[in-house]
Amino acid sequence: MNTKKWIELGLSKGLSDVEISVSESSSLKLVSYEGKIEQNTISDISTVSIRGVYEGNMGKVRFEYISDEHVDKMLDKIIENAKVITVKEPAIIYEGSESYPEVKEHDFDFSSVPMTKKVDDLITLEMRIRNNEKVSNVQTAVYQENTSGAILTNSKGLHLTRKNRFAYAYGVGVFKEGDDVTTAYEFDIFKTYDQFDPNKLADITIEKGLKSLGPVSLPTKFYPVVFSNETFSELLSVFSGLYSAESAYRHLTPFENKVGESIAQSNFNLIDDPLHEKAYFQIPFDDEGVACKKKYIIKDGVFQGFMNDLKMASIFNQDPTGNSFSGGIQTTNLYLEPGEKSFDALIEPIQDGVYITELVGLHAGVKAISGDFSLQASGFKIEQGKVVYPVNMIVVSGNFFEVMNAIEAFGNDLKFDVSGFGSPSVFVKSLSISGESK
Amino acid sequence: MLNKNVIQDLLNEALMTGADFAELFFEDTNQEAIRVTSKDVSNVSFNNVHGVGVRLIKNNDVVYGYSNDVSEEKVRALVMSLSASFSGDKKEATPLREALPFDNKVKRPMESVPASEKTEKLLALSDVILSHDPRIVQSITQLLSWKQSILVANSNGVYQNDERHYARVILMGVASENGQMQQVFEGPGRAMGFEIFDDVNPFELAKDVAERAIHMLSAQPIVAQEMPVVLANGWGGVIFHEACGHPLEATAVAKGLSPFTGKLGQAIGSSVVTAYDDGDVDGAWGRTSFDDEGMKTQKNLLIENGILKSYLVDYRNGLTMNHKPTGSGRRQNYKFPPTSRMNTTYIAPGKDKVEDIIKDTKYGLYAKQLGGGQVSPATGEFNFSVSEGYMIEDGKLTTPVKGAMLIGKGHEVLFKIDKVADNLDFGQGMCGSISGSIPTDVGQPTIRVSKMTVGGAGGQA
Repeated sequence: MNTKKWIELGLSKGLSDVEISVSESSSLKLVSYEGKIEQNTISDISTVSIRGVYEGNMGKVRFEYISDEHVDKMLDKIIENAKVITVKEPAIIYEGSESYPEVKEHDFDFSSVPMTKKVDDLITLEMRIRNNEKVSNVQTAVYQENTSGAILTNSKGLHLTRKNRFAYAYGVGVFKEGDDVTTAYEFDIFKTYDQFDPNKLADITIEKGLKSLGPVSLPTKFYPVVFSNETFSELLSVFSGLYSAESAYRHLTPFENKVGESIAQSNFNLIDDPLHEKAYFQIPFDDEGVACKKKYIIKDGVFQGFMNDLKMASIFNQDPTGNSFSGGIQTTNLYLEPGEKSFDALIEPIQDGVYITELVGLHAGVKAISGDFSLQASGFKIEQGKVVYPVNMIVVSGNFFEVMNAIEAFGNDLKFDVSGFGSPSVFVKSLSISGESK
Repeated sequence: MLNKNVIQDLLNEALMTGADFAELFFEDTNQEAIRVTSKDVSNVSFNNVHGVGVRLIKNNDVVYGYSNDVSEEKVRALVMSLSASFSGDKKEATPLREALPFDNKVKRPMESVPASEKTEKLLALSDVILSHDPRIVQSITQLLSWKQSILVANSNGVYQNDERHYARVILMGVASENGQMQQVFEGPGRAMGFEIFDDVNPFELAKDVAERAIHMLSAQPIVAQEMPVVLANGWGGVIFHEACGHPLEATAVAKGLSPFTGKLGQAIGSSVVTAYDDGDVDGAWGRTSFDDEGMKTQKNLLIENGILKSYLVDYRNGLTMNHKPTGSGRRQNYKFPPTSRMNTTYIAPGKDKVEDIIKDTKYGLYAKQLGGGQVSPATGEFNFSVSEGYMIEDGKLTTPVKGAMLIGKGHEVLFKIDKVADNLDFGQGMCGSISGSIPTDVGQPTIRVSKMTVGGAGGQA
C-alpha cells in the first residue's frame, strides 16, 4: 500500500492535511464440540482509515475495498463529507509527541505451533470439562489467535507502527443437577503458546460450575454487597464515558462542572494507566498519534479532569491526554486503586450479605448519565463472614455515584479484564437486591 | 466481483477433497452516519465493508475463511487452504441456477439524496427536542444508513444476489435539573431509503423523546418486588425476543442446549400466545428478500395457541436437526458464517383491550418503554430493562418509576402471559449473537405477565 502517494493525492485535491492509518490482522479460530473440531475459521483483513482536513473541517472514511482507484474516490468522499459539517470546532492532524513510552511488543508467532497441537489442546479443554459427571454438555470450546499490525502516518511527517499478537481460549460448561441448570466458563488470554494450560483452564471452569450449582434466589431487601473484582470492573467500564472531555463539552456528563470537586469518598482513586503491567495490553500512543500517559481521574475522591483527544484539548486549551481511540475518547487501562484487605478479611464483618460474581445485561440495565443501574446478577450468599451457597435470578440496583461514596472496604485483588478495566473486590454498604419468594 | 463461471469452478474445486457443501458469500456494504449535535452538523462518517467469506461443510463440521481481498487468486488460495482440512472422495457441485429477482421496494435510495436534505431533517428534529423545555440541555439526532450488496453461491446450485437498504433515525434528548440528568433515546429503523422520514413520524417521536426526558426527572426509583407486569405494545416484544426467540434458534436447539429442544407439538406457553417470525414484512427493519444463504425469506409460525410449531433453522443446523431451513440464515457481514437468526418476531394480536387489562390489574407495573435485554439460551434466564414505567394501583396508572429491571426464565414466563391485547406494534433494534449484530424487529400487542421479579433501587436506603 502506497500511503505516501495517497497522502500526496489528498493534498493535491485540496485537503490541507491528511492522515492514513492502515491496520492488518489475521486470525485463526477453532471450535470444538463433542471431541472434534466442528468449526475452523481463518481470516486475513486489511482496513484503511483516512482523515482529511478540508477548509477547516474533518472528513473521515474507513474502507476495506483497497485499490488506488477506490482510494481516489474515498478522498473525494472526505471532501464531500467535510463540506456537510457546520460545527465550528478545530480539526487537527498531529505532528507527533516529543517522545513515546517504550512497550514490550508481543511477537510470539502462534502459527509456529503445529495445528495438531492446538487441536489436541482444545479438545483436551473441552473433554476434561465434558467428562465431569455434573456436566451435561459443553456449549462451546474455543481457541483463537490474532496477529495485528497498524501503521499511522500523516502529511505532517508522523510515522508510527505497532504490532500485537495474542491468543485466548475458553470452554462453556453446562452444569446440571436435578432441574437446575447453570453455565460456567473461564476466559484465558496468553501472549505465548506455553501459557495455555488446557487442563488447568478446564479445572477452573469445573470448579466455577460446581460451586454455582443448586442456586437459590433471595428474599427481596437491602443487603451489604461485595462485588467481585471482575464485576466491579464491568461497572467502571460502563460509566467510563463520563470522564470524557467531549461528554463535558456536549453536556452529557454530570461531572461537567466538577473538576477539583469531591465526587467520591476520600480513599477512592481511579487511574488511567496505559502502561500498567498487570493489564493485558500496554499502549504507547493513541489513534491520533499522541503519546499515552498515566493520570489520575479521581484522586483522594477529587475529580482531576477529563480525558481528551486533540480537538477537545484545543477547545479546553489543555495538553492532549492520548485518549483518542476508535473515533472517540476512551480510557486506556482504567483501574480502581486496590486496598489492603484479602478477600476473606473483606467479607469477614458481613453477617447477611451478597457476593456478586456475575452481572448480566449491562448494555440495558445502566443509565450512565444518571448513575442508575439495575442488573441481573448471580453469585453467593454471605453469612457470618463466610461465602455459604450460590444465588442467582436476583437483580442488584443502586446508583453508581452513590456507590462511589458508600464503599466500606477495598480488596487487594486488583484484576484487569481484556478490555483494559481493572478493579479489586469492593464491599458496598447496602444495595437493593430483588429476588423471588418461594 | 468474480464472474459466474469462475465461481462455479471454485465451488467444484472446494469439493475436491470430500466436503459435502461449499459456499461463497461476496459482500460490498457502504455505511453513512450523519450526526447533529444541538444546532450543528458535528460529524459525518463513511464506512465500507468489502470481502468474501468461504464456507465448507462435511458432515456437520465447518471450515470458514474470510478476506477483504476478492481477487480470483486470493479466493482460490482460501478455498484450497480450507479444503485441505478434509479428506475424502471428490464431489460435483450442482450447476449454478439463475438468480431470482429481488425486490427491495426502496423509493428514494439514500445515495441519491443530497446531504443538505438529510441534514435539514436532522437539524429540524434536533430543534424540536431542544426547544421543548428549558430543562433539555442537549439533543443529538443521527441518520444511519447503509446499503449491503451481497452475492451468495453454493454447491447446491444456489446463485443469488440481494441488495438491502437500511435506514435508522436516532433521536436523543438529555434533561437536567438540580444536578440530576436523564437521557432518552428512540431509534426507529426501516429497510427503506429516505422515505423513512415519511413512515416513522419522526417529529412526533422527537417531541415524545423530549417529553419523556423531562418526565423521567421526577420518576422515583421503583421498589424491588414480585408483581404482575403489563408490557406495552411495540418494544415490549423484547420479552418474547429474549425469552423465547433466541432459545428457538437452531443455534441453541441443535445441540440440545435450549429448554425448547424436543418440544415440537407440545405446549410451551399459555393458550393465548401465538407467535411468528417473518422475514418478509414490507419495509421492516428486519426484512431481507433472501437470507444470507440465498433462501427466500418467509413467514414462520413459531407458536400457535401455546403449541410449539417450528424452530428457526439455517441450512447446516437443518441437516443436524432434520428440519427444513426456514429462511433464517443470517450474518452481520462476510466475517461471520451464517446461523439461524430472527427477522421480525412478534406475538400475534389477541382480543383484550389495553384499558381493560389495566383496569383488571389491582397492583403492578406498567412498562411503557423498554430498554434492551439479554438471555442465556442454555438456562433460559433472561432480563430486560424498563426505561419508562408507571405503577398500577387499583386499575389506574399512578407514579412514574425508573430503574426497573425484569428477570425471568423463558420457558416459565410464556405460561404466565394471561392477557393479550389487540394493538400489535413493532420496535427496532440491533440483535447480537454468534453471527454478529443484525437489524431485527421485536413486536407484540400489550400483554400482561401474571408475576415477574422486578428489580429496582427504591425503598429504604
